[in-house]
Amino acid sequence: MLKPTLSSLAIAITSLSVAGSALADYPTRNIQGTIQWGAGGATDNVIRSLTPHVEEELGTTIVLTNRAGGTGVIGMNHVMNQRPDGYNLLFGAENPQLYPLMGLADFTYDDMHTVNIIGQGLVVIATHPDSPFEDFGELLEYAKENPGELRMGGTGAGGLPSTVLAMINAVDELDIRDVTFGGDGPGVTALLGEHIDFMPLSLSAVAEQIRGGRLKGLAVLSDQELEDLPGVPPITEALPDIDAFLPWGPFWGVFVHQDTPDDVKAVLEDAYYNAVASDEFQQFLDDFGGAPLNLSGDEAQEYLDNWQSVTAWSMYDAEAETIEVSPEELGIPRP
Amino acid sequence: MSDTFSYLLMAWLDPQLLALTALGTLAGIYVGAIPGLSVTMAVSILISFTFSWDINNALALMVGIYVGGVYGGSRTAILLNIPGSPAALTTAFDGYPLAQRGEAGRAIGLSTVMSVIGGFVGVAILAATAPMLSDLALRFAPRDYFLIAVLGLLLVSTLSGKSLARGIFAVALGGVIGLVGMDPVTAQGRFTMGSMNLLGGIHYVVVMIGLFGVAEAFYQLHHLNTIPVKQKVDKIVPSFNMVTKYLPLSLRTSVIGVIVGALPGTGGDIASLFAYDHAKRTVKNPSRPFGEGAYEGLVAPETANNAAVGGAYVPMLTLGMPGDAVTAVIIGALVIHGLNPGPMLMVETPHIFWFTVGNLALANIFLLVFGLTGIKLFSKIVELPKAVLIPLILVLCVVGTYSINSNMTEVYWMLGFGILGYFLKVFGFQMGPIILGVILGPLLDETYRQAMSSVGDNLGEFLLALVANPLSLVLTSVITLVLLGNTPAKRLLMERLSRR
Repeated sequence: MLKPTLSSLAIAITSLSVAGSALADYPTRNIQGTIQWGAGGATDNVIRSLTPHVEEELGTTIVLTNRAGGTGVIGMNHVMNQRPDGYNLLFGAENPQLYPLMGLADFTYDDMHTVNIIGQGLVVIATHPDSPFEDFGELLEYAKENPGELRMGGTGAGGLPSTVLAMINAVDELDIRDVTFGGDGPGVTALLGEHIDFMPLSLSAVAEQIRGGRLKGLAVLSDQELEDLPGVPPITEALPDIDAFLPWGPFWGVFVHQDTPDDVKAVLEDAYYNAVASDEFQQFLDDFGGAPLNLSGDEAQEYLDNWQSVTAWSMYDAEAETIEVSPEELGIPRP
Repeated sequence: MSDTFSYLLMAWLDPQLLALTALGTLAGIYVGAIPGLSVTMAVSILISFTFSWDINNALALMVGIYVGGVYGGSRTAILLNIPGSPAALTTAFDGYPLAQRGEAGRAIGLSTVMSVIGGFVGVAILAATAPMLSDLALRFAPRDYFLIAVLGLLLVSTLSGKSLARGIFAVALGGVIGLVGMDPVTAQGRFTMGSMNLLGGIHYVVVMIGLFGVAEAFYQLHHLNTIPVKQKVDKIVPSFNMVTKYLPLSLRTSVIGVIVGALPGTGGDIASLFAYDHAKRTVKNPSRPFGEGAYEGLVAPETANNAAVGGAYVPMLTLGMPGDAVTAVIIGALVIHGLNPGPMLMVETPHIFWFTVGNLALANIFLLVFGLTGIKLFSKIVELPKAVLIPLILVLCVVGTYSINSNMTEVYWMLGFGILGYFLKVFGFQMGPIILGVILGPLLDETYRQAMSSVGDNLGEFLLALVANPLSLVLTSVITLVLLGNTPAKRLLMERLSRR
C-alpha cells in the first residue's frame, strides 16, 4: 500500500509545481482517444468505463475512437504520427511490448510516454463441465501420455493463450493442437459447445461462465487461490517452476506521444491517477476480474520492462515459432 | 408470471422509455441509411454517453438504434443502389430496379412492412425458444461454419446475373481482397506489401462503398442526360392482399434470418444473402423476373435481416455471448453498468430478458410508424438531377468510409475500388459476388484452419467428420444436393422417373 501513496504524493508535488502554467492552458479543447482494439472487447470496456471519470478530472470531453487491426499496430501507429500536444491519447493493451519480437513493427511502448498502467487482468485456464479433468495437473499428465491430442483454443501468435502455453512449455511440456479463434468471445463459444478441450482466458471473459456452471476453471495463473474464484487451484500447484514468471497478465494502459510537453504529461498523469483511484472505477475493475495497478513514471516503466522480459524470454525458451528474432538481439534482458 | 408481464410491458408504459425507444429507432434509420455509419459504431458511442443513466434507459435507446439501423440500410439501397449496410446488399438487387420504374415509394413501403414482420418473428422466436435455440447454436463446430461458408459460395449462381464465369471470377477476386491483412494464426502480414496500414486488412464495408457507391456514381455518368423517372407516390402502404400474398415467403425467410442471426459466427449480412437465394430458388412465378424489380426479391432480405436481430439476442441473453458485433457492444454496456452478462443473467436478472423482448417489439412498432412516414420526400431523391445527385453520392461515400476507422488510407482504397468497380460494371461483371467473396473469404480461411487443427491436420479425419456428425451431415447433404441440382444428373434422374 506504501507504493501508491508515495507515487500519489510525488504526482501531487509535480502537479503543484506546474499548476500555475499547465492547468491554465491544458486542456482547452476536446481530446482524441484512440482505442487500439475493437468495440466490445476488454480494452474497450475498461477504457469506456474509466473515461467519464477522467473527463470529470480534466473538465473536457475525450472523444473515443476504435482503431482496431493488426494486433493494435494500426491504432498505435496513428497516435505516434499525431502532433505531440497531449490532445491525442492511446489506449492499449499489452501487445505492443512484443511487436519487434514478432516482426510486426519496430516500436514498443518505450517509444511513447506512459501516462498510466491502469490494471492487469487475471488469467484462468478453463474447460467445459463435461471434461474429465478436475485440475490442470490431470490435464498435463493426460497430455504427456497423449501428445498432440488435446485441442486448445488460441487467439493467434502473440495472443494470451499462446503466451501462457509458451510459459508452460518453458518449464514443462504441453503438446497440443492449437485451434485459433478471432478472440476470447468466439473461443469461449467454442468451449461452451465442447469443440475445444481447454483455453487460457482472461478472467473477465470467463468469470460469469464459471459462476453459472457452464465452464469450469482448471487453474488460475497465480501463486494463490483467487477470492473471486474459490475452488480453482493456483497453477503453481501443478507447475511450481512457473512461479518465476508470476505475477503475469494482460494489462491496459494510457499513453501519449513521447515529445509531449512535461507539464501536459503531468496534468494527464494526475487526472488518470485520480480517475483510476476513484471508488466507482475500482469497483468496476473488481467486478470485471481485473487487478488495479495505477502506475505511472518509473514504476510504470519498471512494470513494462519486466512484463516484456518475462514474456519475451518465456516465448523464446519455449521455441515459439512466431518469434522472428531473439530477445537478446533486441536488448531485452533475461528476467 | 405477473412479474414477467410487467417487465415485458415496462417499456410500453413508461413515457421516458417510450420516448427513448422512439428516438433510438428514428436515429437508427438514418444511421443505417448512410453507408459507413454503422449500428455498432452508434451503439459504442452511446456507451460513454449513457454511462450515468439508468440501465433500462440506455438499453431502450440501444435497442431502438439497432432495430432502426438494420432497417435503414434498405433506404439507400432502393433509392441509390448503394446498400447502407452489408445486410441490405441484396435489397438493392430488386429495390433499385423498382425505383427506376417509378416505384421507389412502394418499394420502401413494402420493405418497411416486411422488416416489421421479420422483426416480430425474430422477437417471438427469441421469447419462445431462446434457451433451445442457443443450445442449437452452440452445436455448430468450426467444420459446420466451414460448410455454411461453402454453402454461401454456392450463392454465386444466384448473384452472378447472366454470366456465371464472370461471377466466379468476381467471388475469387473478393475472396483474395478478404484475405489481405494479418494472418489470424501466425500474425504475419499477408498481401500487405509491407504496408503497416494494410495489416488490419481491408474492411468489407470499404469495398462495398467503393463498388456500389463510387462505381455507381461513375456509371450513372453514362446516363447524364436521361430524365429521371417520375415517382409514383400513391399506394405507398402495401395493400392487405399484397402482404398476405407474401406472408408464406416472409415467414420462411424470417426463420432463416433468426437461425443465421443466432449463430455467433454469422449475422444479418449472411442471413439476407441466404434468404434472397431461398426466394429465388423457391418462388416459381415472381411478380417480375428477379433482378428486374421482383417484390419477392425485396421481401426476402428485408424480413431476414430484421429477424436476425432477434436471433442475435439469443446467445447474448442466454449465455452472455454475442450473436454479432452490435450485441458484443451491448454486452460491454451491461458490464459497464455493473450487470453480469453470462449464463446467470436470466436467473439473476430475468427482467433484462423480458424487458429486451418487450422493447424489441415496441421498437418494431415505431419502425412501422417512422418507416411509413416521409416516404414521399425520400422518393424525390431519385428525381434529383444527376448533376446534384452524383456529387452528393461521392461526398457521402468519402464521409462514410472515413467514419469506419477514421483512416484516410481506407478512403483511398474505397476510391480505388470505385474505379475498379466502374470498369468491371462496363464489362458486365456484377458487384454482388465480389462482396460475397470478401465476406466469405476470411470465414472460409478461419473455419477451415480451425476445423483442420481440431483434427490434428489430418485430412482424412476432417472429411470423415463432415459426414460423421448429424449436423455436419445435414449441411454436407444440402451442399451435395445443390451441386447435383445444377448438373445434368438431375435432368437425367427426372427423365427416368417420369418415364416410369
